Amino acid sequence: MFFSKSTKKRLKIFSLIAIAVSIIFFFIYNNLQKNVVYFYAPQEIKNLTDIPSNKIRIGGLVKEGSIKKNNNTYVFIITDLKNEIFVEYNGLLPNLFIEGKSAVAEGVLKDKKYFIASTILAKHDENYMPPEVANSLKKNKLNR
Amino acid sequence: MAGYIGNLALFFSLIFNVFLIFSLIKGIRNNNFKNSKTINFFNNSIFFLLLIAFLTLVYCFIVSDFSNVAVYQNSHTTKPLIYKISGAWGNHEGSMVLFILILSLFSFVFARAKVSEKLKFYTVFFQAILILIFLIFLILTSNPFDQIDPKPLQGLGLNPILQDPLLAIHPPFLYFGYVGFSLVFSFALAGLVTNNFDKSWSKIANFWIILPWSLLTIGIGLGSFWAYYELGWGGYWFWDPVENASLMPWLAATALIHSNIVTFKKDKLHSWTALLSLFTFIMSLLGTFLVRSGVLNSVHAFANDPYRGVYILSTILFITFFSLVIFIIKSPKRSLYGQYFFFQKDNFILINNCFLIFFLSVVLVGTVYPIILDAITGKSISVGPIYYHTILAPFLFVFLFFMSHGPLLSWNKEDKFLQIKNLKIFFPISIVISSVIIFWFFDYKDIILILGLLFSVYLIVSVIFDWISQKKLSLNFGRLVSHLGFGTLIFAIFINAYLSKEINAAMKVGDEIKIQEFIIKFKSINKIKKENYEEVFGNFLVTHKQKQVELTPSIRKYDQPVQFTSETSIKTNFIVDYYFAINLSEFEKDKIMVRFYYKPLMFWIWLSILLIACGGFYQTFRLRNEQ
Repeated sequence: MFFSKSTKKRLKIFSLIAIAVSIIFFFIYNNLQKNVVYFYAPQEIKNLTDIPSNKIRIGGLVKEGSIKKNNNTYVFIITDLKNEIFVEYNGLLPNLFIEGKSAVAEGVLKDKKYFIASTILAKHDENYMPPEVANSLKKNKLNR
Repeated sequence: MAGYIGNLALFFSLIFNVFLIFSLIKGIRNNNFKNSKTINFFNNSIFFLLLIAFLTLVYCFIVSDFSNVAVYQNSHTTKPLIYKISGAWGNHEGSMVLFILILSLFSFVFARAKVSEKLKFYTVFFQAILILIFLIFLILTSNPFDQIDPKPLQGLGLNPILQDPLLAIHPPFLYFGYVGFSLVFSFALAGLVTNNFDKSWSKIANFWIILPWSLLTIGIGLGSFWAYYELGWGGYWFWDPVENASLMPWLAATALIHSNIVTFKKDKLHSWTALLSLFTFIMSLLGTFLVRSGVLNSVHAFANDPYRGVYILSTILFITFFSLVIFIIKSPKRSLYGQYFFFQKDNFILINNCFLIFFLSVVLVGTVYPIILDAITGKSISVGPIYYHTILAPFLFVFLFFMSHGPLLSWNKEDKFLQIKNLKIFFPISIVISSVIIFWFFDYKDIILILGLLFSVYLIVSVIFDWISQKKLSLNFGRLVSHLGFGTLIFAIFINAYLSKEINAAMKVGDEIKIQEFIIKFKSINKIKKENYEEVFGNFLVTHKQKQVELTPSIRKYDQPVQFTSETSIKTNFIVDYYFAINLSEFEKDKIMVRFYYKPLMFWIWLSILLIACGGFYQTFRLRNEQ
């Protein structure tokens, strides 16, 4: 044969390790794909061909004067100055959730105009704007 | 004035550092390691100069010298003294000074250790190069003594949620841990270059691994504790990239501690231990990059200057590349492999290492993948806790099982039957204990919960068994305490995750609500005015199973910068935490939003982390006395 005994042994060990490592990475990657939450700006949602069934995040500015309250359910509009989306949220709004300021909501899309949020993400301080929101706003301001 | 002193101190420490490196190179060239006087002089002076620079910065913060940019941006005259002081490292520039000061402190202390002159020479050399790299970074991109002219009258203030006594000490602990691993890094490179990577290397290295590891453990615990009571969401670990950044070096270092024992005891695994020593510090650097560069958004991201991020990233690549080149060229000697047995201590430690590296890669992928994806495709994603939980939990159980048996094995001979005997003792005991707990406290059964409790109890039982059967307790005391802490930590985490309760409601004064088994009464409201904020307290009475707890959460309105924060109120009886937070609502002026959490065994989570760290501290003191 081409290989000596010890080389064969090493090859065997090496291929075993390679297989184990690739299985582990496949496992990690697979799990990652299932559990990532994508972020969309309202404009991107308009351009979607089909509605994603799993959890997503949307973010933008909370439109001034758009917040309506009905029992414990809030409905407000999130905008990126190009497209608007109604967001329904059942729960308590965080301290820093203010009209005209930025917000990020996590939940599922009912249709292209209506979003049902399960969480409104808290921010660390008043001037902070999530980078995704800042990016999409910047793009839209430039395009206008 | 103070700014000049600080600048001069930084400048001279840079000059001295260059001198130090040159004289070290000269010594290495002439193969003369005796002349340590000049080396020590430079090494000491660098440390004292950096200390002066750091103290000068602290002084600038104390006297609110607003001609200093860092002070202007992060401080305010009305801030209490302790936050003026902690403000010194609560910003990018100051924290980098602390970073370099600790680099140099470790070099300073190490120069006094009992190590062969040659190894010491090289270690100080590599450490000096690290100091040089970061000093240049500091002076070029983030000088803490930059001046503004004209001098502003008032500062911009420190982010109110950072104004907290715990956060004053959290960064130093974390930095001592992170940066402390630099010494093992330099020492490993020194050992590789001089072909001294052997038993005696790992004997000395042991101390320098466990000390920063223990400090890092405390640092992570403090950060987690802060998140728990300050953020007001009832959680203590969010799998936030910033938290992961501190967990990664911790996991790497934990693997290193164990593999280093094998290197010491059996003169094996040299390459692996060397690689882990390098890797641990590289993980610390990666953590520094993640939190400091602004690629992540959090309270830690001070730097908005993209050049800083680029500089740190290229530094990491440079350091990683060169350390790996040295590793490949000077790979340590081949291990002598004796007979291989499965049920042998070194084999179980190898298994432990595989698991830890797996946990590390899971966290690494989850943290870095979104950043890379964003950089390449522009898509933003976030990786939620579910990813970590589903992927880590099943492996954690197996890990706990191996962790229970590993320490009971022998180094030199296989004792399969003893382990089977142990297994027959541990399993019944832990099954009985965990099923009693499950039937007593839980109405529903969940396989993850059952396995989690079973295996954490299994570990605790095995540690107690091990503890009792020790002939000389002091020998293994550190390990026993740390392992026990890990067992109780996992136990408390599982109980906490499955028994926590949360109530959300909108209330006004006088309201009483009954939800689940809790009755919450909003008794009164009162207001106080403090130096730099106004505070509104709500008084609540929670009745739970005939027991009454009074809680007084509050909302603070800070003046500088104007910002609202919720201050939680937590009462603990060491078994259960009653946790209250309130919010203002824009839309219901007459009501206050309340959040109530029932959190069992929180105290035990903190205690367990403390135990893990204490085991490490005990071991370092024992090692120090041995040397």
